[in-house]
Amino acid sequence: MSQEREGRAAPIAARVHLAHAVVQKLADDRDADLLHLKGPAVLPGLRAAGRHSSDVDVLVRPGHLSRLVAGLESVGWEQRTGFATGSVFAHAANWWHDDWGWVDVHVSWPGITLEPDQAFEVLARGSVLHPIAHRPCPVPGRTAQRLILVLHAARSGGTADVGLAWSDAEPGEQDHVRKLAAELGAEVALAAGIGELELHRDDPTYALWHYFIHGGSRLDEWRARMAAAPTARAKVGLVTAAMRVNRDHLRMEMGRPPTRREVRARQVIRLRRAAAELSQRMRGS
Amino acid sequence: MTRYTIADDVAWVSEQDLDPGDEPTAYVTKVPGGPPILLEGSGCLVWLAVADGGTLEEITVAAAGMTDAEPEEIRDDVATLVDQLVIIGFVHEE
Repeated sequence: MSQEREGRAAPIAARVHLAHAVVQKLADDRDADLLHLKGPAVLPGLRAAGRHSSDVDVLVRPGHLSRLVAGLESVGWEQRTGFATGSVFAHAANWWHDDWGWVDVHVSWPGITLEPDQAFEVLARGSVLHPIAHRPCPVPGRTAQRLILVLHAARSGGTADVGLAWSDAEPGEQDHVRKLAAELGAEVALAAGIGELELHRDDPTYALWHYFIHGGSRLDEWRARMAAAPTARAKVGLVTAAMRVNRDHLRMEMGRPPTRREVRARQVIRLRRAAAELSQRMRGS
Repeated sequence: MTRYTIADDVAWVSEQDLDPGDEPTAYVTKVPGGPPILLEGSGCLVWLAVADGGTLEEITVAAAGMTDAEPEEIRDDVATLVDQLVIIGFVHEE
């Protein structure tokens, strides 16, 4: 009377729910502190019905990262991008598993400028256990979830989550979110997400958030990132990274590790593209 | 009397947790090793009945209550499926 079969073809939404539970079990087994974010980790009322994630997002206590990674790799997750190459903020790396798909492991959240260890402590302070795939998973409390969703929307240049997370919140709840943002050093990113970025025109990160919200050329992005880099050392690191081809992304694009020749060829393309953008800009100025 | 419950190391999600579909469906796995398996139709209904815990008779009555079937019509099939789920470690008996 029943049909049972391998679930490799499980729909993404089901796979993501189960993968959250798997990751939590791996963390529990190694005493690694986690917070589950987005997708099925979002508390009721903060996410539109029928809106699903395509991957698992977790924030790990930075000091526990190696434990979590050991757990992930013990059951077959393979690292595909590193923290230096995963994103502009160098805040996350991701792993792939044939059954469970993508896991994005975050050590910090874009927009939060407080040190990652302290930020985790603040976010974990109000955490609650939320059932995902019928297993208890720690997630940030409601105020922190509102903030995280708005910061994510700002970073993604989208507004999908802002309505439920911010616009529909009572004024008192919005005040709580603003206070939490201040504690986490996330005021500018919050402002970007809720349409108040112009109040922060003098902030070094203003241009970066303006780019995320309104878009622009790659040069605009890099100029914004340079402005936002807090130290001379950070600026040097940024330039170095900018000049280097992202091997991780090239590998994903090609479906195999790139050869040295392919990396060099891509480098030339990048330099030509940058030069072309610069020429256009000079002609336009 | 033997009682059945979902094993402690199992995670599962049903269509009720996602977007309700035409047919009852549950995806079930052992954590952390997997892999996921799919229980469709009547198999899913039995799983949902096991999720509440109970004796084989209670599970049979609960599963029948989710369909138009009489308990005696499905008793043998429910017993077979529950046995299989015990063997693969998804259901715990005590």
